Amino acid sequence: MALELYRISMRRFLTVFSSLSIVLLFMFVLSLSVGSTMVNPIEVFNKLLHSLIYKAVNTLGIPHVLKPVIETDRVYSVATLRLGRTIAAISTGALLGVAGLLMQTATRNPLAEPYILGLSSTALTTIAIGIILVPNIMIHKWALTTIAFIGALLGFVLTILLSRLAGGTSISLVLSGIAINALFSGISHTLLYVVQNTIRMHYVFLLMGSTSTILLNDTIFLILPFAAGTTASLLLFKILNTFLYGDEYAKQFGYSPSLVLIIISAIASVLTASTVATVGIVGFVGLAAPHISRLLVGTDHRFSLPITAMIGAMITTIADVVVRIISLLSAGLGELPLGVITSTIGAPFLAYLIIKRMKGHEDSY
Amino acid sequence: MKIVIRDLEIWYNSIKALSNISLEIVDGELTFVIGPNGAGKSTLLKAISLIVPPKWGVIYIDGRDVKLYSVRELAKTIAYVAPHISRSIPSTVLDYLMTARYPYTSFLQFKEDKTDLEVIDKVSRQMNIIHLLNRRLDQLSSGELQRVVIARALTQQPKIILLDEPSAFLDLRYRLEILEHIKNITRTENLITIIAIHDLYLASLYADKIILLSNGSIAACGNVEEVLKEEVIERIYGVRVELLEVKGKRIILPVEPLTLSTPQQNT
Repeated sequence: MALELYRISMRRFLTVFSSLSIVLLFMFVLSLSVGSTMVNPIEVFNKLLHSLIYKAVNTLGIPHVLKPVIETDRVYSVATLRLGRTIAAISTGALLGVAGLLMQTATRNPLAEPYILGLSSTALTTIAIGIILVPNIMIHKWALTTIAFIGALLGFVLTILLSRLAGGTSISLVLSGIAINALFSGISHTLLYVVQNTIRMHYVFLLMGSTSTILLNDTIFLILPFAAGTTASLLLFKILNTFLYGDEYAKQFGYSPSLVLIIISAIASVLTASTVATVGIVGFVGLAAPHISRLLVGTDHRFSLPITAMIGAMITTIADVVVRIISLLSAGLGELPLGVITSTIGAPFLAYLIIKRMKGHEDSY
Repeated sequence: MKIVIRDLEIWYNSIKALSNISLEIVDGELTFVIGPNGAGKSTLLKAISLIVPPKWGVIYIDGRDVKLYSVRELAKTIAYVAPHISRSIPSTVLDYLMTARYPYTSFLQFKEDKTDLEVIDKVSRQMNIIHLLNRRLDQLSSGELQRVVIARALTQQPKIILLDEPSAFLDLRYRLEILEHIKNITRTENLITIIAIHDLYLASLYADKIILLSNGSIAACGNVEEVLKEEVIERIYGVRVELLEVKGKRIILPVEPLTLSTPQQNT
């Protein structure tokens, strides 16, 4: 019985994983094709595959008769122009999804999320302070990410402390997050307004997140933290699994609850900080992705971590495509920020979770 | 196997929870810890399982200070069952029981062993929760949950089982059935079983030894006849009791609260 159920959940994970991979690939190609210049997604797929195989074969030194990729080809060059922002959108969602999952486990609160708990705005505040003190920090992305990390971690600590003062219930955590978020949104807004000449871009993009200015080279600042953070969390899956059932439970297995909380918070802060430093604040992805993933594959972090990353990636990629479609239809000036779309999708989801939670689930934490 | 506790004293910040606890608990016996609310029953169990650090005193398991055990050894030796677990992010029962096998697998082992799942299977059958394995923890009734958390302890295959209020939500039949089962495995596998419980009736029915706590120290300790005396219970609990003899066992029956003399314990 147990063995059977275990095999079923294993199989379900593999099925979900492979189907999501296909959907994600589809969205990736779609994102490369949609924009002010529309290109045929099938052509994009063929050309990309061709160039990928060509480069792989060449680097491996296998003799072949493949035609070289024509770099000036219209479809190919349009697609590669969008490659940077598409990879940025995918990794932002994956980063925020995993960060959200970690924070929900660490606080044992299904409403926890980097934006709701105020990490994003404190990260942005420290970035703004950094820019004011050392204006040329803008070109040192790693320094910027580090500063954002300190801000995010401080924000998490502040929110948790405030919620403990308020009784430590799940709702008090969310309310504390809202208070911290409101305060530091205001501060960062003001500071960024002051320095907007230095950063030479409309600072709304940092407040609400946007992938439109991201180059392919910049995506490394998202991909590396994602790889490191997700690998680290996957290695800690046993700790995360026992942590779900309470501090005393984790302690019985020799995992010190306070140390675990610090480690998980640090990883979640790194993940959040890298998105804030590169893309800006994108809210609610970290809330929705873990819930959908748990619905699909359950709470076991071996399964839910990769699935959450994929679902987060899908949410932001769709949102990024929607942003471009809206700007096409309205023919307005510039693009909408990405965070606007994710908030519009995510906030009703939060409302649903609150209703579900307030109805009779309050006894269960 | 044997637990020896010497001069244990525990404080929660500035509140003294336990003091002057010296005990010896042997295997193959059911030891019950009783006492009024706030007497320190849970604290004693948490101290033995190292969840709460002692201020003074030492706990020896098999002659060795518990602090010298590695965390993995300790997790294989002791299972403490709290009356509640967090269910705010509810997993399935199977996921929950699988965590109990972690002390037996290496930290980075991603796939569960077949033997681990077989242990879960066996315990689930014994505790009659095999049909619940696929359910989420928040979909269980209180009684079902109580059987699940006890099954977790048994899945861990410890030498020492510490149960905190294991019967509060169980119906009459399961109370007896589960305590009967715990008694059996305590006898056959020579476990040390310590049960903190409010129900004096169950204690008198199953206990080999009873520890009566009051205000954080031991008021009485010994076998059932030595501890469950009318005057002792009346003094500590502040209730008038009657003693009944049923099948050669002494059963305590609380009748009414004592109002004449103020109870010694007041929480």
